[in-house]
Amino acid sequence: MTRKAGSGYESAMQYLANPARFLRIANAALPYVWSIALVLLAVGLYGALVTAPPDYQQGETVRIMYVHVPAAWMALFIYTVMALASAVAIIFRHPLADVAAKAAAPIGAVFCFLALVTGSLWGKPMWGTWWEWDARLTSMFVLFLLYIGYMAIWQAIDEPHRAAMIARIVALVGFVNVPIVKFSVDWWNSLHQPASVFRTDGPTIAPSMLWPLLVMGLAYSFLFLALHLTAMRAEIAARKIRQIHIAETGAR
Amino acid sequence: MNFTAAHIGFVLASYGISFACILGLAAYVIARDRKLRAEAQRLDAARRREQT
Repeated sequence: MTRKAGSGYESAMQYLANPARFLRIANAALPYVWSIALVLLAVGLYGALVTAPPDYQQGETVRIMYVHVPAAWMALFIYTVMALASAVAIIFRHPLADVAAKAAAPIGAVFCFLALVTGSLWGKPMWGTWWEWDARLTSMFVLFLLYIGYMAIWQAIDEPHRAAMIARIVALVGFVNVPIVKFSVDWWNSLHQPASVFRTDGPTIAPSMLWPLLVMGLAYSFLFLALHLTAMRAEIAARKIRQIHIAETGAR
Repeated sequence: MNFTAAHIGFVLASYGISFACILGLAAYVIARDRKLRAEAQRLDAARRREQT
C-alpha cells in the first residue's frame, strides 16, 4: 500500500517535472487566473472602499487594512512557497523547483515592501510614528532583506548550479523568520496589534469588515498565482536561451 | 468613504502606492516574459534552420 502511494506520488512529481507540460498547463490556466484575480480585486475594492464601515476609533484610516494586511499575508506566504520549492529542489531535484523559487522572489519582495510602506502610512496617524524598531516591524524588515539577499545571490553568481545551491540554503535558513514574524506580536510587547483574523478562537473583526479583507486576500493570492506562472514561464525561456548560447559556444 | 475625513491622505497614499507597485510589477513580469519567449523562439528557429 505504501509502495503504491509512493509510486503515485513519484509519478505525480515526474508528471509535473516536465517543463513542456508545465508550459502547456500554465498557458491554458493563465487567462482564467488573471480574470479571476481582476474580478476578485474589483469586488474586494468595492467592499473595502464602499460597503465597509469606518472604524469607531480609527475612522476612515482603517481602510488601509484592506491593502496592508493582504500584502503582509502574501509576503509570508510567498517566502513559504520559496522555502518549500527549495526543499523540493534539494530532496527531489525537481527541475522546476528552483524556477518556482526564483520566480517567486521579486513578487514576494514587492508585497513585503508594500506591507512595510502601507504599515508605515497606517502607523503615522494611529501610533504617531512612521517606524518603530519593535518585534513585528523589525522581523518584517528582516523578511524584506531576505528577499533582497535571495535575489542578489541569483544576480551575483554566474554559475547557475552554484547560485541555485546557495539560494536554496538562504531560502530554507531564512524560513525561520516566517514564524517569528507571525508570532512576534504574541511573544514580545509590540505597538502592532495581535492577530485578529487567523486565531484559534475565530476572527475578532466585524463581518462587514472581514469579508472585504478576505476577498482582497483572495484577490492578492490569485494575482500572485498569475504573476508567478508568468514569471516561471519567463524563467524557463531564459534558461532555454542560456542552453542555446552554451550549445552554440560549444559547437564553435 | 468620506473624502473629507481626518488622515484621508494616508489612506489614498496607501492605495495609490499599492496599485502603482502592483501595476509596475505586473508590467515588468509580463514584458520580461514576452521578451524572453520571443528571444527563445527566435534562437530556436535559427538553430533549426541551421540544422536543416
